[in-house]
Amino acid sequence: MKKYSQTTVAIGDFSSLPFWQKYSTVDLIYVAYGLLIVVLVLASYVAGMFDLLPHDPQQINMDMLMAPPATEGYWLGTDFMGRDIYSRLIMGIQAYFLPGLLAISISLAGGVLLGVLSGYVRGKLSTVITYFTNLIDSFPRLVLILLVVAAFKPDIYYIMMVMGITGIPAVATAIANKILFLSQKNFIEAAIALGLRTRVIILKHILWYNCRALLIIQATLGMGEAILLETSLSYLGFGVQEPAPSWGNMVQSGANYFLQGNFWPSTAPALAILFTILGFNLLGDGLNNILEDRRSR
Amino acid sequence: MKQLSVILVLASSLWCSVHGVSYAADIRKDDRPNGGVLNYGEYGRPATLDPITSNEMISMRISELIFNGLVGINERQDVVPELASSWETSKDGRVYTFHLRKDVTWHAKPGETALPFTANDVVFTYNIMMNPKTITPLKVRFEFIDKVEKIDEFTVRFTLKRPVLNALAKFSFKIIPKHGPKNPLYLTRDDPFVQHPIGTGPYMLSNVTSDREIVLVANDKYFKGRPHIDEFVAKPFADQNILTQALTFNAIDMIVLVNPRSIAEIQGDKRFILQPYNALSYSFFGYNLRNPLLADKRVRLAFGYAINRQEMLGSFFNNQGTIISGPFAPGSWAYNLDVKPLPYDPKKAIALLTEAGFKPGPDGVMQKDGKKLELTLSVPIEKESEAVKRVVLAFQNYLKNIGVTVKVEFKEWQSWKEEVFGEHHFDIVFASWVFDDSADISSLFHSAEIGPWKNNFGAYSNPEVDSLIVQSKLTLDHEKRRTINRKLHALLAEEAPYTFLWTLTHYSAYHKKIQHVAIHPYKFFSYADEWYIPVKAQKK
Amino acid sequence: MKNSPIRILARILFRELGLAFLLLLGVSFVVFAILYAAPGDPFSMLLEGQMPTDESREVIRAAMGNATSWYGQYFSWLSNVLSGNFGTSIRTGLPVAGELFKVSLNTLYLTLGSMLVTLLVAVPIALYSSARGHLVMISWPLTMFGYLISAVPVFWLGYIAIYISIHSFDFFPLMSFEQSSHGNQWLAMLVPVLVLGLGSGSISEVIRNLREEMSRVMAEDYVRTARAKGASVWMHAFKEGFLLPVTEIIAAKIPFLLGGAVIVEQVFNWPGMGRMAWQAAQDRDFPVIMGIALVAAAFVRAGSLLQRIICIAVNPQLTRT
Repeated sequence: MKKYSQTTVAIGDFSSLPFWQKYSTVDLIYVAYGLLIVVLVLASYVAGMFDLLPHDPQQINMDMLMAPPATEGYWLGTDFMGRDIYSRLIMGIQAYFLPGLLAISISLAGGVLLGVLSGYVRGKLSTVITYFTNLIDSFPRLVLILLVVAAFKPDIYYIMMVMGITGIPAVATAIANKILFLSQKNFIEAAIALGLRTRVIILKHILWYNCRALLIIQATLGMGEAILLETSLSYLGFGVQEPAPSWGNMVQSGANYFLQGNFWPSTAPALAILFTILGFNLLGDGLNNILEDRRSR
Repeated sequence: MKQLSVILVLASSLWCSVHGVSYAADIRKDDRPNGGVLNYGEYGRPATLDPITSNEMISMRISELIFNGLVGINERQDVVPELASSWETSKDGRVYTFHLRKDVTWHAKPGETALPFTANDVVFTYNIMMNPKTITPLKVRFEFIDKVEKIDEFTVRFTLKRPVLNALAKFSFKIIPKHGPKNPLYLTRDDPFVQHPIGTGPYMLSNVTSDREIVLVANDKYFKGRPHIDEFVAKPFADQNILTQALTFNAIDMIVLVNPRSIAEIQGDKRFILQPYNALSYSFFGYNLRNPLLADKRVRLAFGYAINRQEMLGSFFNNQGTIISGPFAPGSWAYNLDVKPLPYDPKKAIALLTEAGFKPGPDGVMQKDGKKLELTLSVPIEKESEAVKRVVLAFQNYLKNIGVTVKVEFKEWQSWKEEVFGEHHFDIVFASWVFDDSADISSLFHSAEIGPWKNNFGAYSNPEVDSLIVQSKLTLDHEKRRTINRKLHALLAEEAPYTFLWTLTHYSAYHKKIQHVAIHPYKFFSYADEWYIPVKAQKK
Repeated sequence: MKNSPIRILARILFRELGLAFLLLLGVSFVVFAILYAAPGDPFSMLLEGQMPTDESREVIRAAMGNATSWYGQYFSWLSNVLSGNFGTSIRTGLPVAGELFKVSLNTLYLTLGSMLVTLLVAVPIALYSSARGHLVMISWPLTMFGYLISAVPVFWLGYIAIYISIHSFDFFPLMSFEQSSHGNQWLAMLVPVLVLGLGSGSISEVIRNLREEMSRVMAEDYVRTARAKGASVWMHAFKEGFLLPVTEIIAAKIPFLLGGAVIVEQVFNWPGMGRMAWQAAQDRDFPVIMGIALVAAAFVRAGSLLQRIICIAVNPQLTRT
């Protein structure tokens, strides 16, 4: 599954062109938009860390429950406790940033390790690893997480840990397939014949030259998945808990009023989720194409 | 919302202790039309359908339709005959003899003829209930009964261990048939009976659909006369917003308990009636007095002054409730109206904290001897518990204004109970007690009830309160008891082991085609056999 | 030794079934381990409404006849399951097997239906965008649409769908409601299927996977040769670039959709496994959770078995591996 981009063996040589001609405009726009989102996320994270917000995101205003957007002082309106939605949106990134990175690091580290082991070493070990990845893949991820948070405690780090672990098979399989592909093209045999050390082959030639695009895609996808997963769990009551804001619990609490015709309190965080995930997806796509030196699709 | 239940029942018919022989009810004769279907929506699915193993409200409401007790409670909260047509009480109040109706039959099992209801069933029910292998919340309520004997086919005699005030109302427990459960000794949830119960009540279980919709049909042979509405269907919902939409879209006819945020929406809709009913519960913030910061009465009182109950009730619950000052439900005979709820007075709150030795620190947080006034508020998680979230967040905010830091921690329900009741690992809780009928609060504040899995989880201990509780329990004279409880109320209000908040008015919403609707406070469907739907409205 | 195709197939089936069995064993063990390590008591649920004192817990444990050691618990469960007894739910007392059969069928309809929706939307977009040249101008807005709709929180999408159904189409999209018995039950069933198919985040993945696979195959030598000869590229690329990735995606997306079903079933009151799982997880209803884990894993394994078979049917060379 998920054998992205097995096309590293160069198709055409554009390396002599300046970069704006070297890559397709669409890819560059994708990457630009993705980078913009990344910068916004980082900026929000920093703003949240140092309290550079228009309002205290926890400050309750009982006279201003569910204020519509463009209300004096609250340009995105207020939520069911009269708290500033704009400030909470910015602060909400805190819920995903570190936990999301944790999940991504777990899947990438575990996936690379298992992928290299099963692809490069092979043999009995590979059978065990295949069993392990199949095992993880046999669980509906949400059900597993639900079980863990209901049994232990609803903590975003628990959620992200399980998410990281369940993300391992995808990465491992992709890496293993890549190595298989490379060895089919006699790439690895050639490297060995050149007398390169195993460590160098694995780290530099396999992972860095041939798998970086794949890893970047997995990382960007992981962030989007983390956000959506937390949102789903918030609906079930097990996401990030109040009073800490997260986009998921904001959509959830706002959606209580959605069917009554008050759309805004859930739409604002939902749009934030939408455009952020779009940014990560496009960043992954664009970077993949650029790193793989493919011109267009 | 999930609630804790106080199991000690004190029937609300209370003081009018019904001695001697009572009257028999007539078979209903009225000209209300029969027919129609009532679909009602519940949030969640019932676990079991029998009255003994079930331990949640949804099941209890259904068993109210299927079963009867020896006695019932009418709309004026009096004890009235049901399966027993009359009864006698001995002079010392220890022996209760019930004469059973002879015209009652059980719902027929499919393909069998209906069996008559006899004294054997009553004895059987009691024995099943008290068997140690039966897991039921009812057990502790009937420990005051010493034994039950069958005198003849239609007479049973209960002997009590000690005289109990208003024991009669406790005999409203539901009777199950001897030929019902497979196991004749005790009832567990894997007995087929718990999913396919038969009773004597106005409705019979017809079937349970794959979605666990419970379909109940009218019992033509009901001893009080056939109920008017042909069918009751309980539809389970998993999302409260959808539940409300289902009502407004006429997909269901009734919601048993309307979510506070939907009240305004339904209120504006002419097709529906919102009927309030007293839920016999109240909400409070409970303090853990094991924490030295909270052991000081002035600190707890300061919290009471710091919060604006009226504002919360208005903003979050559309003012649908009553602010209380003490541990009894308002409207209960024990409630002391002379004790006024604490007013919202942050200045007084700060003054009290200063008096207790706290001074604002450099960061604005009150502190005493270098110790900051920082507390943890534990709250159980519930899906869609917006009202709970609102109250605890507002509480946090009010206390912040007087320089107290409250950290809100949401915990999963079972582990919340474990921490609060088992390990006593908390500072403040937000919870509510729900009472079966009216209330006996003795277990909540008596110092003998301190300990793991006991009701006095905050470890409140006061000899004066203890002695009042004991006095109140011992006296059988209602007036005296009332005076004692009023004293208790005043004392507890002053001592503030809890910050008492409010009792909320619960609302049921139903389509106005359903007529003559009366609702029992927590059993809900007690009078459903008298509801009816006019002929014109019976067709959809 | 010559092998007839049927024997090869039988051998592969046998191997895959053996693997599936081992995996189900592993799944049940992992779930059991989580439940066992969790604090709290599976029988606390029965004590709701009374104080779960140590004595009352002891009484329950004695009444339920529970083995105390962890391996005792696991093996008694396992031996029961192997003899076809999945136990009874702690909460309702109903036999797990019968209940699961009913709800898992409902979930299967939901999952398969939404899979179809996902493919119907995602495959054309992926094909467009893997094609080259002037189609790029059409392809990127389409891709964008696919990505955007996948990023919508699925329960919120459900609310939108319900709102639109009520206010614009005057029907209530909940299964088993009255107007649905008048012949348009399919309409009521269609909405949750659409929501799960569009909103679970699977569209973007299908687009991406399929596009990559198509581009890879298009660049393969034999396709280039075909193109050079003027033969239909699609015919050549179809098997490897389309059929295999699609089946692979279907197989891989099953656990994902089963997870999404938890949410969609709550919103649309769909009587399925996801709703049951949510309730059981909260109640720590041990036999039900174990049963659900097994059935869900069995769905996943069935999907991948099917995928293997198609894979082999298309490309018999793979039997050698």
